[in-house]
Amino acid sequence: MSDSVWQRAIPVYEDRSVKKTFIFFTILAIAGTILAVLRMASPLGRYSAMNDFYAWGVWKTFNVMTLTAIGSGGLAVGVAAWAFDRQKLHVVMRTALVTSFLFYTTGMLALMVDVGRPWNLWHILLPWHWNMHSALLEVAVCMPTYAFLFLAFENVPLVLERYSYLGSDATRARIAGLEPVIRKIYPVMIAFAYLLPIMHQSSLGALMLLAGPKVHPLWQTQALPLLYVMAAGIAGFAFVIGTLLVCCLRYSRPLSTDVLGELGSLMSWLTFAWLAFRFVDIAVRGKFGLLLALDKYTAYFVLENILLLVPAIMLRSKQLRETPRILFMAAVSAGVGACLYRLVPALIAFIPARKANYFPSVAELTMTLGFIAAAIVGFKLAIRYFAVLPGPIADWQFAFKPATPKQPKS
Amino acid sequence: MSGLSRRDVLKLAGLGGAALALPASLASASGGGPSVVPPHAVSMLYDATVCTGCKACMSACNATNHLEPDTGLSDGLHQMPADLNSRTMNIIKLYNDPAGSWSFVKRQCMHCLEPACVAGCPFKALEKDRDLGVVTWDGAKCIGCRYCEISCPYQIPKFEWDKFNPRIVKCQFCYEQRLKDGKHPGCTGACPTGAVIYGTRENLLADARRRIAGYPGKYYKDRVYGETEGGGTQVFYLSRVPFSRLGLPSLSDESNPHYATKVSSKIYGWLAGPAIVFALLFGSINRNWKHHEANRRDHEAEGHLPEQL
Ligand code: SF4
Ligand code: SF4
Repeated sequence: MSDSVWQRAIPVYEDRSVKKTFIFFTILAIAGTILAVLRMASPLGRYSAMNDFYAWGVWKTFNVMTLTAIGSGGLAVGVAAWAFDRQKLHVVMRTALVTSFLFYTTGMLALMVDVGRPWNLWHILLPWHWNMHSALLEVAVCMPTYAFLFLAFENVPLVLERYSYLGSDATRARIAGLEPVIRKIYPVMIAFAYLLPIMHQSSLGALMLLAGPKVHPLWQTQALPLLYVMAAGIAGFAFVIGTLLVCCLRYSRPLSTDVLGELGSLMSWLTFAWLAFRFVDIAVRGKFGLLLALDKYTAYFVLENILLLVPAIMLRSKQLRETPRILFMAAVSAGVGACLYRLVPALIAFIPARKANYFPSVAELTMTLGFIAAAIVGFKLAIRYFAVLPGPIADWQFAFKPATPKQPKS
Repeated sequence: MSGLSRRDVLKLAGLGGAALALPASLASASGGGPSVVPPHAVSMLYDATVCTGCKACMSACNATNHLEPDTGLSDGLHQMPADLNSRTMNIIKLYNDPAGSWSFVKRQCMHCLEPACVAGCPFKALEKDRDLGVVTWDGAKCIGCRYCEISCPYQIPKFEWDKFNPRIVKCQFCYEQRLKDGKHPGCTGACPTGAVIYGTRENLLADARRRIAGYPGKYYKDRVYGETEGGGTQVFYLSRVPFSRLGLPSLSDESNPHYATKVSSKIYGWLAGPAIVFALLFGSINRNWKHHEANRRDHEAEGHLPEQL
């Protein structure tokens, strides 16, 4: 269908040996999980440095509010591929969907660990207990629905695919029967799969609106929800680009500069739109003068914008965005910039009504990193057992097991 | 093979624009303008110029609410909390500056007319009584998310970080213990000087204004703190020193909830915003999908590998 070198998602057949990095991430993930269990069985204060002034620590502000942005690849690439008909992006959809699913799942784990009275969470099932004015309610309802219904649905075909090759004849027949059903509801399901994250990613920004003057005026704006959801798109593109580059290099797959360049270009346009909204908003509110304070807020503000602006400009050059090394650095810069923008109003530019300090405890950070490690381990397993990463059609083997060793690459 | 066109970017941005704000008030939020005062709004008036700092209200508060006194700073001798905390919902603090001006201040929940804590609480654990206007907490509904701590402009709700069954602790106007039975709250009943008094919001506001009129220039800016701050509160302050010295933030007249839901209440009203975004998305996706399916069938008919979703 496409003349790009990426024609199909293909499992990683080789590299079965357990590598040191994999062991490292597994250990970190297990440590995080053990601590999470301990934390759930203890008072909240024992494993975290949160306090009455910084009542939201890294679990909410980083794992949820920031990391679901890099889990927004499924939204960003999906909208581009399906709503804007960027055909060539279909081949990287699975990479986007799997990373999104994993990061949303870890975000939700962090949310579970963070709430102090989890036994009351069942109220979520009773709509008449919902406070319809609360942005947090919107997040609490919308985010799990998205992750475990729509995003999970989007990931179903790649699971079915494996079993239609590996399963018994009966399994195969059942899967063949399911396919038309999936295809029938697919357009509706993905429309919801884009609507929901647009809603909750913007609601994450809306959370900070209610904090009013406690958020530094450079960040406190009615445009927070819009800037938040757009930053999620930027971070989503950035993370998909980064993941593709890292994995393809690691598993010696050829790179499709065409597809990667397209992703880079989309990310760059979105970043320009984001910067425009942000600067117009600050100008309209007349807050540029605050930058003259030359304090840490000025520094963060400048840093965020530079991290985003520089790659956006660079990626306008076709030659640069088709140079993998440059594209990678640009994606990292934009991804970090977008994530920083999501973190700053929630934690760094959040100024409680009384002088107070918060720095995450070791246990808190271990859990934060452990959740990320769990996502990485999950991804590593997913690309091995399922056809996720894109590659040339010549590499496709019908059996998912490496029955025949791959011919050595030159 | 072309990259994304400018037109597409505008469409994309438009989509985001349609989703602007989205903080989820599915029903429309309070309409704006001055806050609504509950019909029988109860109130407290604290006149810092009268308070002698005896702290009788503090022990009365702990006793009424069955809170173990925080004796942390006094080696366990007597109640001496450093600030409001999970064992202290009412505190008397002293502001004292080297130039010689000083004042006591009583800090507690303000029982805002448009409380941010209530607006943000996902499962209505915090609620404002429709009749009396007191803001109370219900442990059966609270999930311990601590959004109330993030949103309260006065930094009032406290969380029991050290408990297995942690509660949100804040003044609830002694609703359960006393108000419900028509009695006065613990603190106002205990105050020997009348520095803090209990009454209806209407009466106490009139009382405060009378005091200001009676002694022009005595009170800071001749103002009652709480009349309009953050949309207005049900606890009022009179002070000789600037309110900010007492730790009372200078807030605009717009409440946080009003500010936060201004845009979203329009977008989410009748779910119109989400419906429009969905219609746009689905229209475009469905068109592209049909096209995609046609191509796929041709392609698979030619004997190519099955297409991957
Ligand atoms: S002072 Fe804070 S806790 Fe009290 S009603 Fe207002 S927002 Fe809620
Ligand atoms: S901690 Fe409890 S009372 Fe406070 S906002 Fe969350 S659910 Fe509501």
